[in-house]
Amino acid sequence: MKLLKAVSAAALLAFATAAPASAQETVFMSTQLRPIEEAQKVREIILRGAPGNPTYVTEQPPQLTVRMRAEAAASRRTVSLVGALHGELQPLLPAGALDDISDVAARLADRGIPANLMELGKLGGTTQAYIPWMQATYIMVANRRALPYLPAGADVNALTYEQLKEWAKNVRERTGQRRLGFPAGPQGLMARFFQGYLYPSFTGSAVSAYRSAEAEAMWVWFKDLWQYVQPNSASYNFMQEPLMADEVWIAFDHVARVLDALRQRPNDFVAFPAPAGPKGRGYMPVVAGLSVAKDAPNRAGAVALIEHLTLPRTQLLTAAEVGFFPVVRADLPADLAPGVRLAAGAIAATQNARDALVSLLPVGLGERGGEFNKVYNDTFQRIVLRNEPARAVLDREAENLRAIMNATQAPCWAPDAPSRGACPVN
Amino acid sequence: MTARRLVYYAGIAMICAWILVPIWLIAVGAIGGRQGVFLWPKSLWPREFSFAAVELFLRIEGVGKALWNSVLAAALTMVLSVALGAPAGYALARFAFRGQNAYRLLILLTRAFPIAILALPLTVSFIRWGLYDTVFGVALVHTALALPFAALVSSSLFAGIPRELEEAAWVFGCTRLQAFAKIVLPLALPGIAATAIFAFVISWNEVFAASVLTVRERTLTAYLLTVLSESPLHFRFAGGLVLILPSVVFIFAVRRYLFAMWGIANR
Repeated sequence: MKLLKAVSAAALLAFATAAPASAQETVFMSTQLRPIEEAQKVREIILRGAPGNPTYVTEQPPQLTVRMRAEAAASRRTVSLVGALHGELQPLLPAGALDDISDVAARLADRGIPANLMELGKLGGTTQAYIPWMQATYIMVANRRALPYLPAGADVNALTYEQLKEWAKNVRERTGQRRLGFPAGPQGLMARFFQGYLYPSFTGSAVSAYRSAEAEAMWVWFKDLWQYVQPNSASYNFMQEPLMADEVWIAFDHVARVLDALRQRPNDFVAFPAPAGPKGRGYMPVVAGLSVAKDAPNRAGAVALIEHLTLPRTQLLTAAEVGFFPVVRADLPADLAPGVRLAAGAIAATQNARDALVSLLPVGLGERGGEFNKVYNDTFQRIVLRNEPARAVLDREAENLRAIMNATQAPCWAPDAPSRGACPVN
Repeated sequence: MTARRLVYYAGIAMICAWILVPIWLIAVGAIGGRQGVFLWPKSLWPREFSFAAVELFLRIEGVGKALWNSVLAAALTMVLSVALGAPAGYALARFAFRGQNAYRLLILLTRAFPIAILALPLTVSFIRWGLYDTVFGVALVHTALALPFAALVSSSLFAGIPRELEEAAWVFGCTRLQAFAKIVLPLALPGIAATAIFAFVISWNEVFAASVLTVRERTLTAYLLTVLSESPLHFRFAGGLVLILPSVVFIFAVRRYLFAMWGIANR
């Protein structure tokens, strides 16, 4: 009975403490910088002294969509500022959850945010839906012990896919281990490798040439590569872990997902751009943006926070602390931590490569972005892991891809040539 | 005789090791430092001692409040689900009424819908009713999830208490309520406590509803556990250790009631 009494006392207390929060604060909800250490750095370092009394809350992407739509439907708001990836903000616009922040964009005109990034922030419309916040891309990381096995004449900073295969083959033949790794686990970002790297490099397209003869040859090539790939790849979400465990020697992943390995053991790893194929060195920049919620409880606070986060000083701090790179004009300082400097070097080498071929993030797919990724993941699983014939799989999955394109009427984005109406799947 | 004893003690040692070795390995991962978790082969003794990971985990802003919210939500869930579930269980056990079996099935139906589908309408309604972002709101959803369990377990519990005892109390002049309070309740209490503990655990572990329905008033699972899976390995060990120890202590403290639930202490 004592237990029951204590419990009912606790219950009463719960009613008493469930009071509304102060009106002054600005709730800043972000799908980025979620891991504990990063979130802690945002709270303690990046947002220190920021205006608007920010409360930094992290959220998984699916929950963000549910919450923002629910708050829009019930027209009562708690979240003022939203920080998320381009693709995660996109479905929020048609749901009526994002405010027009063209006025903020005008105030930030002197920050030197590149025009093409600002244009992305309009999400295909005429008004500004988000302000670019930070950017990243995907890089390759290799253990220094793998370098002796590089094929003759290969430059790690200007690798081709053929050389990558030969490299992985050498490693396997001489160490007996499959030590090339990809993040093909359930939370891994493997679909982006196909959309932004493999397809553009081999076919010069991500959508139009989905089932072309080049694409078929590419998949056959990739399946052949798989015999040198660590079979545990199907469960890797973050490549930094297998890299640090020495299970994988050569890896591809999002820079934020290998940064910990580079930070912890900067002398053991090298970072370099993704390889090039016959059509160029495909790469995909990743952009995170800041949006103000429609009818935000504290719009002034949210705007002040955007101004704080896009200050060159804050942007540099963000790069040094969490490894996302500035969107504004700001030169990285010379005293950057060695791990971050490795990552920054690989990103610069990618962007400045002569054969660089930029793939934009999918534009105009709205909430069907997940299905779009599934087409590429399914294609990979069926051809490479389940040994189905490439031609038949491509023909079948092309129908799914075409259905998504027709339903959303999304026009082609780079590297595909611009289209009138829905992007065709030839 | 000695051979039998040996087997007996070996069995005990094996069962203890079965439980304790994984916990020990988690502890080694948590205090063995950042690099330690990647060493292979694993050593059973950490090469370096560092409480930095555990410390950082405990120092994270808002962990204390989230912990408090978790306890409140779980306690509320416990009270509500017993208060609603036990009478339903009593009715199911003692009275024969039309549609009894259908009712039993219907109770389970609340668990048939995945909460991810209900999330959007639920959140909209909660915002309109002012329950959004409150611990009480989270407790209500958790009660809905724990209720089928509470009702069905307490019904089998009451069914196991002979009706004759209650009838004897009536014969000696007790009212229905008195008979229940003086005869049935004391007999059922250990089982009800076990039901309450399970309601507590259900609420403690639930993530999705707790994270969709709250912004600032997060429970510990919503606040930390989801991001824990994306954190570096040694943090996961630190978080695991910090979260395992209280529950081991809790289970140890209430083990008598847990056994009661399976009807061991009652007989």
